[in-house]
Amino acid sequence: MNRVLPWLLVTPAILAILVLLVLPLLDTISVTFIQEEGVFAGYQDFFDRRFNRGVLWRTVRIALIVTVIAIAIGFPTAYFIARAPRSWRSILIVASVFPLLTSTVVRSFAWIVILGRNGIINETLMGLGLISEPLSMLYTEGAIIVGLAYLFSPLMILSLVGVLENIDKSVVEASISLGASPAKTFWRVILPLAMPGVIVGAVLVFTGSFTSYTTPVLLGGQRNTVLATLLFREAMTEFDWASASTIAVIMMVLTISVVLIMSRVARRLNPAAA
Amino acid sequence: MQRSSPLLVITAIAVFIFLLGPLVIVAAASISNTEFLAFPPQGFSLRWFVNVFEVSAFRDTFLISLQIALLGTFLSLLIGIPAAYALSRFGFALPKALSNFFVLPILVPQIVFGFSLLSAISVDFDLPVFPTLLIGHTIIVLPYSIRVVGASLATFDFSAEEAAISLGCPPMKTFYTIVLPNIRGGILAAFILAFITSLNNVPVSLFLTGPGISTLPIQMLTYVENFFDPTVAALSVLLMALTVLVMAVVEKTLGLGYFVR
Amino acid sequence: MTKSLNLTGISAHYGRTQVLKDLDLDVKAGELVSLLGASGCGKTTTLRLIAGFLHATAGRVALDGRDISAVAAHRRDIGLVFQNYALFPHMSVADNVGFGLKQRGVAPQERRARVGEMLDKVGLAAFADRLPAALSGGQKQRVALARALVIKPSLLLFDEPLSNLDAKLRVDMRVEIRELQRAHNITAIYVTHDQEEAFSISDRVAIMDAGQISQYDTPEILYRKPANAFVANFVGFETMMGLRVTGRSGGVTTAEGQGARFALDEATWGPLPDAFTLGARADGLRVMAASEDDGLPAKLSVRTYLGRSYHYRAETPVGSVVANGSIDRPFNEGDRAKLVLVPEQCCILPATP
Repeated sequence: MNRVLPWLLVTPAILAILVLLVLPLLDTISVTFIQEEGVFAGYQDFFDRRFNRGVLWRTVRIALIVTVIAIAIGFPTAYFIARAPRSWRSILIVASVFPLLTSTVVRSFAWIVILGRNGIINETLMGLGLISEPLSMLYTEGAIIVGLAYLFSPLMILSLVGVLENIDKSVVEASISLGASPAKTFWRVILPLAMPGVIVGAVLVFTGSFTSYTTPVLLGGQRNTVLATLLFREAMTEFDWASASTIAVIMMVLTISVVLIMSRVARRLNPAAA
Repeated sequence: MQRSSPLLVITAIAVFIFLLGPLVIVAAASISNTEFLAFPPQGFSLRWFVNVFEVSAFRDTFLISLQIALLGTFLSLLIGIPAAYALSRFGFALPKALSNFFVLPILVPQIVFGFSLLSAISVDFDLPVFPTLLIGHTIIVLPYSIRVVGASLATFDFSAEEAAISLGCPPMKTFYTIVLPNIRGGILAAFILAFITSLNNVPVSLFLTGPGISTLPIQMLTYVENFFDPTVAALSVLLMALTVLVMAVVEKTLGLGYFVR
Repeated sequence: MTKSLNLTGISAHYGRTQVLKDLDLDVKAGELVSLLGASGCGKTTTLRLIAGFLHATAGRVALDGRDISAVAAHRRDIGLVFQNYALFPHMSVADNVGFGLKQRGVAPQERRARVGEMLDKVGLAAFADRLPAALSGGQKQRVALARALVIKPSLLLFDEPLSNLDAKLRVDMRVEIRELQRAHNITAIYVTHDQEEAFSISDRVAIMDAGQISQYDTPEILYRKPANAFVANFVGFETMMGLRVTGRSGGVTTAEGQGARFALDEATWGPLPDAFTLGARADGLRVMAASEDDGLPAKLSVRTYLGRSYHYRAETPVGSVVANGSIDRPFNEGDRAKLVLVPEQCCILPATP
């Protein structure tokens, strides 16, 4: 068998990623270190600014909260789907996938209709006479969190349905037959076995929220800047490309570190690997 | 005969209302006969649907999005299928890290990639907007092509290919007559997934739109930031209808198992 | 403490289909009873019902006379051994075995001692710290057995525990299961579709068909005196002939039907009703010359050599059957012959209308 053929077949894909993804990224990275004031001056400058630190912390905070919410609502739902009868299961999976295939603009926009001044919540509360002035829910950090939780929960559900379906039903029954209550069975057997799925889902939700642009722009307004909106503003409004590059590298490094660390954790938790 | 906790059922129902309710609300708001977004809709009117087609920016950007998505998906399959084939067939002869390397476009935050493309390619090489957009979209959907086609190849028994060759069929022809027909489902799934991903993409396109050229999601974003009428709600309904159509095609041809992978 | 088990009037449904129909089963304390039948006969449903994972639509499950129908599965104190072992993949062998003791609040020290003792008994003391993924099929099954036994359950349930093992291991393991069950004096229910397995280890066997128990008896009786055509067929009486008595004289009953005629000695066959069905195993039909007075006329087709005898496929008025022929006098394929009966390999069943 010739040794050239396999390489020949993968070369176009390798070249495409190398030239069109890796090189531009290296270019962006190099920009941040080639500064007149010194190699790390760009980063020094970024972290020196109280505002930037606030933006970074807000972005991380939002992503963490969204991840926790996604796990909290994703786990029971995925468990329900995994245990549902076959015919139901595919309908429920479609219902979870459908939002994912819909534009993020549409899905974020929906929350403007719900949370806005004339939105459903305000209209309902005022109609009931519970409030006299509309609440300002839109353009807050809470709105971003709700929007992102809405955006990314399906990802969590789908990651979990896979692992939960793979948990042998008889393992759960074995636990119960040995005297563990359903609650104990959940903590001691189901959750540990589902942990790889939780981690995969959490990584997807966290990195997705951490780097999201559309939802913060539509639901967060001007005041609740996150890293992605800051990057866009520096690049396209301030035309400060050095700063924009620095933000880009910070986002990239954090995202990739989270992915690498968590995938290592997931691998260690996987019993089959031992 | 098996009991299911009522708490679990209630939670699941609540979550599905949370997942699908907002989309229903958008759909309802699109038929409101008001100048602003209203739910429950006040009056009934299809004028916002008419308006979608009257706003030329939506029409133009939709066509551009369509071209980019079709071309980008096609290109990604063109380089992705051989790569997926090589990984399943000759995986042993290739470095293990290669399949991780092919995930890179998903790993890198898209907004970062979009920005890098702008600064490195569009500006440094003075490349026009359209090809730069095409490059960006091709790269971000490439992992889908490789992985979905790869999943399909993983269930293919390559001894059938060897059988064909032993029967005198030349290798290239064997690929077309034996391998390709068996992974048609995977290719279709990859195509649809990549197409929808490209069509909906915001963060990569964000930096790459230029004078006269923009994509539909970016145009919608701009519109929503400036207008509060239900036009975007109507447009959303049209896009959801497109998604339903695509899902129906997938369901008909492949079954829904493909979405879970 | 060893307990008896009583199922009374059990019915169960999956949606609209009824899978158990008014089923009764009594198991004495310390007995090992097998539920035997093809897939879909309701044997696994019965087992899961006893374990508490399914709920009957009617009837009563009682342990030592106490109704446990309303007791939650995790409070039933029933050991369960699964077909696929169902070991907890994220726990070591010792933790798997100790899991039930932990749920019962057994102190760590005692727990360790009992787990160690149990692992010794099943010969896996050296594997205590391994994960299940690192064990062979037989070892996994031993862990599953140890895990179910260590809690000293009042009842032990086996769900096709050996069907994932190879043939030789299956034979070894069933002896081991029987020994452990006896040694611990635990009442046990054993579900299987393998007749040999069920007969070899059980005190009594319930042969199930379409959600009902067709016959419930000791293996010996089931094997020799099946009560109905279903059981007879299940234990290997493959050929069935409907016969009618045409004469009784001098201790010999003559029976005819379906082209056959047999003279049956009452000393061997016992008193026979006027009409009955006769069931025969392959070894219950012996190929003789066509010139014999009595027997089932046959035309021989394929002959296979089995060492001690020949087996023939024979076309007869009751259909295509397998019969046994002497090694000393081989017949040729295509010969006409008479098939006569070997009483020990035949059974008498009620006439089918």
